[in-house]
Amino acid sequence: MQLLEAQHVTRVFGGGVLNKRQTVAVDDVSLLITEDKPTITAIAGESGSGKTTLARLLLGMIQPSQGTIRFRGQVLADMSRQDRRNFRRQVQAIFQDPFEVYNPFYKVDQVLTTPIRKFKLANSPAEAERRIEESLQMAGLRPEETLGRYPHQLSGGQRQRIMVARALLLNPKIILADEPVSMVDASLRATILESLLKLKRELGISLVYITHDLTTAYQVSENIYVLYRGSVAEVGSVDKVIKEPLHPYTQLLVRSIPLPDPDLHWGSEGDLERKNQTAKGVGSEQRGCKFADRCPFVMPECRQSPPPLYRTNDDRAVACFLYKENEEISGQAMAETLAA
Amino acid sequence: MTVEAISGNIKEQSSLGANRVLEVKDLRISYETPRGLVRAVSGVSFFLKRGERLGLVGESGSGKSTTALSLMRLLGPPAIIEGGQVLLEGKDLLKLSEEQMRRARFADIALIPQGAMNSLNPVMKVGEQLRDTMRAHAFNEAQSALNARIEDVLDWVDLTSDIMDAYPHELSGGMKQRVCIAMAILLRPKVIIADEPTSALDVVVQRQVMETLRRVQNDIDASVILVGHDMGLMAQCVDRIGVMYGGKLVEVSPVRDIFKNPQHPYTQMLIASLPNLESKEVFQGIPGLTPSLLNPPSGCMFHPRCPQIMAHCEVDVPTLNEIKPDRWVACHLYDDKVA
Repeated sequence: MQLLEAQHVTRVFGGGVLNKRQTVAVDDVSLLITEDKPTITAIAGESGSGKTTLARLLLGMIQPSQGTIRFRGQVLADMSRQDRRNFRRQVQAIFQDPFEVYNPFYKVDQVLTTPIRKFKLANSPAEAERRIEESLQMAGLRPEETLGRYPHQLSGGQRQRIMVARALLLNPKIILADEPVSMVDASLRATILESLLKLKRELGISLVYITHDLTTAYQVSENIYVLYRGSVAEVGSVDKVIKEPLHPYTQLLVRSIPLPDPDLHWGSEGDLERKNQTAKGVGSEQRGCKFADRCPFVMPECRQSPPPLYRTNDDRAVACFLYKENEEISGQAMAETLAA
Repeated sequence: MTVEAISGNIKEQSSLGANRVLEVKDLRISYETPRGLVRAVSGVSFFLKRGERLGLVGESGSGKSTTALSLMRLLGPPAIIEGGQVLLEGKDLLKLSEEQMRRARFADIALIPQGAMNSLNPVMKVGEQLRDTMRAHAFNEAQSALNARIEDVLDWVDLTSDIMDAYPHELSGGMKQRVCIAMAILLRPKVIIADEPTSALDVVVQRQVMETLRRVQNDIDASVILVGHDMGLMAQCVDRIGVMYGGKLVEVSPVRDIFKNPQHPYTQMLIASLPNLESKEVFQGIPGLTPSLLNPPSGCMFHPRCPQIMAHCEVDVPTLNEIKPDRWVACHLYDDKVA
């Protein structure tokens, strides 16, 4: 059964009275998480790829300009108060910065007691305490070392794991994790990724893992959506997409991963575009493939219309005319194939 | 005045091997806090060979940035340099007057700061900022002559000269970082310190910026200290790595040795914790927490987390010793290897 579903979602910013120029942050993206088996789905892209906008859309924090987002078949925008409350409980988020979500004047306990109070999760203070301790332990923290402290007394890794514990308190179906380890030190990164995997394996929670880091995406997730300037460039199983990337952009990304092995060298800068690349945004007027200006394999047709997804394998599709001999597939159909 | 004359401020009066351009000896730095002095760097010693790229890695609070910034004498209060020497071609930078140090910056030792977006002056055009740097070092040439030199340097870092008329906000993150590299190499320093120069950049741009840095560093025969926490980036960019933990260097070794055959237990666990594209769903974190500098552990800083702890690790502080040629380790496991 469909749990969380985005169907051809587009989100445009600007274009109002004050800011005439429109920016298409998310451009016709479809995604599906089913309830049948817990999965980890990665959404990968660089800054400006629209991955955080997509996360905010999936959380119902902003509304799509076109397309719909459904939770268990219900359109988010049309939900009743009661359903919305339920949605907020079932779909939890973990954000990038484990420093920013805390009020420095309150003890960390507050971020854990608030959801219990709001969602009336416990009938007595003793039960509340028990639930908090359980969820801290599931996130790999010792309650006695955590509770009663102020945020600055805890390390970044501890603070991030408290956010995992907070998400767990509500016993959610899905957790959206937006760059959960990008601000955490190397030695703790592995521990936090491990606790995210445990959520899937032991508690059956599905995750949407939003990241710029293809290495960790490869390690934790089954499927991956690679976004470029708001559009899906390549989508499929991580083994296909990261081990044998087909889209020229994915290839560039994978080649640029600084691997922790001095013998697997990056290579020279010869294949990189050199002089002044400006950080130009994407206007809504742009036709054709958004990667065309940077693409080493650019063809005339790339500048005429945006490439559709071509299904190159059972479990992978690529938005690139290089693969046009394969059958076309809609983003939604591909999302359904991957989720099945 | 020429570049050579300025560089001459720091004379070669070296008793050490001519191969070592920079030598840091027993550097100790503390921060004053309401709860007393916090030792952020305690007795760090290392050297930098001519033309070499040295990586300084560590987790937050390990003292890597404090060490790097102190080499430029850029730390203000509450940081106090309590002792040690920073010998640049034999001359102790910590003993220079403020004015001598001002002249040495950029000319002898330059910094590429973390977050280039914040280090450029937002209300000054890029070209003016570069000209300023040169004028501050007594290049009193006509503007056209300065510009010609700046254009050369910009070309070196793959920027076109029209960006001289741009304000920083008009540039992308990668371009701003290139401007910072251009500024750092403008006076051909002997040592360039790069403090997490690409931490705010995307991977593709990161690779471009690092390749640019490598090329220009090679061209002007400078040495680089690359400060950071990304071991992948280190593997791609440096010749040797110094691993810091709790304000001390625990291991300094050639990059291949660090990755293939790490010696210190912390380095071993750090290398094992790195994600790679070979294995999936296996994570080996390092249990425990980084040490509190306010209340540091006795003996070896790593002993509370060390899987190979021995009785005297809790008491005796290990010193950094060369246990094999070019391999420096601070760990009691190798006590018998030290003469």
